[in-house]
Amino acid sequence: MILNLKLLEYSLSSLWRRKEKNLALVSVYALVIATLGSVLLLTHALKTEALMTLTAAPEIVVQRTLGGRHELIPIAYARTISEFPGVGRVTPRVWGYYYDSLVKANLTLIGIEGYHEQLELLEGRFPQAPDECVIGAGVADAFGPQIGDFLVLEDSSKRRSEFRVSGIFRSASNLLTNDLVVVQEAALREFFAMPAELATDLTVQVYNSREVGTIAKKISYLLPDSRPITRDELLHTYDSLFNWRSGMMLAVFVSALMAFLILAWDRATGISAEERREIGILKALGWETSHVLGAKLREALLLSLTAFMAGLLLAWWHVFVLGAPLLMPLLKGWSVLFPEFDLPPVVDLYQLAVLGCVTIIPYLACTLIPAWKAASSDPDDVMRG
Amino acid sequence: MILHPGILALLFSSTLILLLLLIAGGVALRIVRHWNSASGSATQLQLERQTWLVATLLKYVIGFQIITLFLLLFTLDEIHPLFVGAMCATGSLNANLVGWLVLLIKIGLVFAGAMWLALNYLDQRTEDTPLVRMKYLLLLLLIPLVALDLWLQWEYFSGLRPQMITSCCGSLFSAEGEGVISTLAGLPVKQGVPRFFAVVVLYAVLLLANLRWRAVVLRNLLFVAAVLLFFASLAALVSFLSLYIYQLPSHQCPFDMLQGHYYYIGYPIYLGLFMATLFALLPGLCRPLATTNSLQQELERIEPVWLRLALFGLMLFLVSSCWQMVFGPLQLLGS
Amino acid sequence: MTLAIDHISSRPLIRVDEVSKIYHQGKPAEVRALQNISLEIFAGEVVALSGPSGSGKSTLLSLIGCMSRPTQGTIYLQERRVSRLPEAFLARIRRETYGFVFQQYHLLRDVSVLDNLLFPLYPAAMPMKTMRERALVLLETFSLTDKEKTKVRRLSGGEQQRVALARALMADPPIIIADEPTAHLDAELTAELLTMLTELHAEGRTIIIATHDPVVHQSSLISRRVALRHGQLADAENSRGGQ
Repeated sequence: MILNLKLLEYSLSSLWRRKEKNLALVSVYALVIATLGSVLLLTHALKTEALMTLTAAPEIVVQRTLGGRHELIPIAYARTISEFPGVGRVTPRVWGYYYDSLVKANLTLIGIEGYHEQLELLEGRFPQAPDECVIGAGVADAFGPQIGDFLVLEDSSKRRSEFRVSGIFRSASNLLTNDLVVVQEAALREFFAMPAELATDLTVQVYNSREVGTIAKKISYLLPDSRPITRDELLHTYDSLFNWRSGMMLAVFVSALMAFLILAWDRATGISAEERREIGILKALGWETSHVLGAKLREALLLSLTAFMAGLLLAWWHVFVLGAPLLMPLLKGWSVLFPEFDLPPVVDLYQLAVLGCVTIIPYLACTLIPAWKAASSDPDDVMRG
Repeated sequence: MILHPGILALLFSSTLILLLLLIAGGVALRIVRHWNSASGSATQLQLERQTWLVATLLKYVIGFQIITLFLLLFTLDEIHPLFVGAMCATGSLNANLVGWLVLLIKIGLVFAGAMWLALNYLDQRTEDTPLVRMKYLLLLLLIPLVALDLWLQWEYFSGLRPQMITSCCGSLFSAEGEGVISTLAGLPVKQGVPRFFAVVVLYAVLLLANLRWRAVVLRNLLFVAAVLLFFASLAALVSFLSLYIYQLPSHQCPFDMLQGHYYYIGYPIYLGLFMATLFALLPGLCRPLATTNSLQQELERIEPVWLRLALFGLMLFLVSSCWQMVFGPLQLLGS
Repeated sequence: MTLAIDHISSRPLIRVDEVSKIYHQGKPAEVRALQNISLEIFAGEVVALSGPSGSGKSTLLSLIGCMSRPTQGTIYLQERRVSRLPEAFLARIRRETYGFVFQQYHLLRDVSVLDNLLFPLYPAAMPMKTMRERALVLLETFSLTDKEKTKVRRLSGGEQQRVALARALMADPPIIIADEPTAHLDAELTAELLTMLTELHAEGRTIIIATHDPVVHQSSLISRRVALRHGQLADAENSRGGQ
């Protein structure tokens, strides 16, 4: 125990005496770790965000398909489904996309009836008249209207529709509401020119989560032209999408890491003359090969832990304070509208473990042989001049 | 194949471990061929210095192996939502035939490596290092194991498909299941508890006897008891200890206890079990090898330390795993 | 650990038996540094090794000092055969039994005086506090107390020499090995060194000096002179001594 501490002290002193060189190394190393760390933190944050969105989603969404494509669903289907045992409320939803060619952004338009408890308002109230709407923060930023102002959209027959903004959304998850425009259902039907007996899709509430699979099967059996999508399926899709993306990125950056390691190898093999002399003296005076080796490996460990901490802080700052400006375009890809949204600052131990595994382990492995080479000098070199 | 960062990290680290071990193996071959402790030649001196390289390489390999073992468990836990029916790491392991094999090999490697290091420690403490040849021959045996580990991991991960339907701990470890694991785990608590504690008592008595007397027979008995303890404890963990730890009558996952929402209680449990097993195996393992005076002396010196470490491990394991059984609100046995 | 003079026994402290050392054996650059040397050194002696450079003085010192192992022959230290020990054991003997003073002092130049005394003993089982106390006592003995935190690079030649001696005494070794300790010293400092060595000898330490400095050779401190030529003893008479 004492020996460990003494060797550690010696390592610290040795690192400190060559601080310029080591500082340069730590900076480059930290930068590599920060890059890799940013990828992991960002994908994890996006994933968490998406999962938060989905936990609010209904257990099953039922769509109708016609010729393999999504089609409006008759509201009569809702009654059929709600008669299944175990099924709670079945709600027809009216919603759609709207592309604004001026702002060049996609909006999601949702029609509601009555009070919507899942969403919290940032300010204002839900639409109470056909010409009122509630918009997401992203829409407010892109189009510019505040509460009381008008949002101007063109309906299906290219007529101007004006909606007075009665509220702006706040939500635990920005992804959920960022591009949202909520109006009354009747108003939206008129805007999209959608027949009254049809809806975009149906949401099905299931009391017991174990029965979701069975009920989904029943739905597709009894209503052959429908396609039930369970929440779990959505979760899988999101999960694999994000894992795949971060995996790809990781693969790319591991190659960058390798380049750095070659650099580190080069540095570690090229021990300075003064350092070699120092090791020689210590060996002559009674240090064993294992002691020198231990001290050198502690140096490597100290270096990589310092770089890990620094890199992690840098990654945190890049992703959660700056909003990952360097990676966002590569990773998000699928959304054009979101100019910025706050990522939930979540870091879990698992991300750290993965990051540590791909950065610290290879560095330590790379410094082992040079350290041993330095440690196995002849003790009588000193005596023979 | 799922391109998950954790999976990539695992494959990457395992490749690295294999590489390190291959280097060590190369040196080991040279040592086995040219070692001559009576020689004062430069070659012999060089070989002697290389033994330190090999020892350090092995320490790293074991260290990394332990880290990747946990990373594997974490990754399995992380990817379980990808599989239908999986609710924890057990589910992910069941997604594929080789899953359990990977875990088994990894645990085996950690034990084998730790034993090698113990042997090496013993040998390096003596002036005549009589075990050199054998040590390095044994080291060469580790290489195929590590290669197998890497290959199996590749097979396991490349065989994974999202949406695969697997069975989770509840059904795997339940009494209705088939196979050895479920027969073990499905034991009624009433039978399982006394059996487990019988093994623990047997082990503890042997351990104390070993601390008091030096007979070789006791060492060998302890060796057997340690093996027994290891498997009995694993069975106990899945069949009833986990129920107490999770405070749920049906959750039997041996891995969830490593997670934060169970206060990482799994770490002291598995560390304790590992120490209790390893350090009780060592005396029995090393006795037949201690053929020279110098080795015997070293062994006599280190044995009490090992046995005390084993005792500490047992305490740690028992306290951390049985705490909830004694003090927790869940009761499986009618009082 | 210190062996007192009056305990000179019939058993030698160090016994070198038919020792040869060959560097680069079997290669074109093969050097036979020592050939069939036999030498006994008894506790409490001050032995001077002399000979022209290249005669094998340093090689013999490094063999006696357990820094290297002989190609042939055996070396005994206090009856223990040390010539075939693994390096780790030799290192332990070096730090516990020997104090070394080198020709160029071989101090760590960018390290403080105090750390120069402490670092070499880090592997020893001694607690840090004891080590530090001992170092401070030695610094006081050698009038270096005010230089404790100074880097060796900034010291004068005489001060460096004192640090080197203080370092050699850190583990309180029974044997001091000095290789050309006066090579870079002027007359005054040489005299100072001889005084210090005399004190160490008076404390009961065995001293082995390799030197071709006549001042050291003629010093009354030296109890036996051994000459080396071409890796062999020039005068076999002196190889035993003691009695």
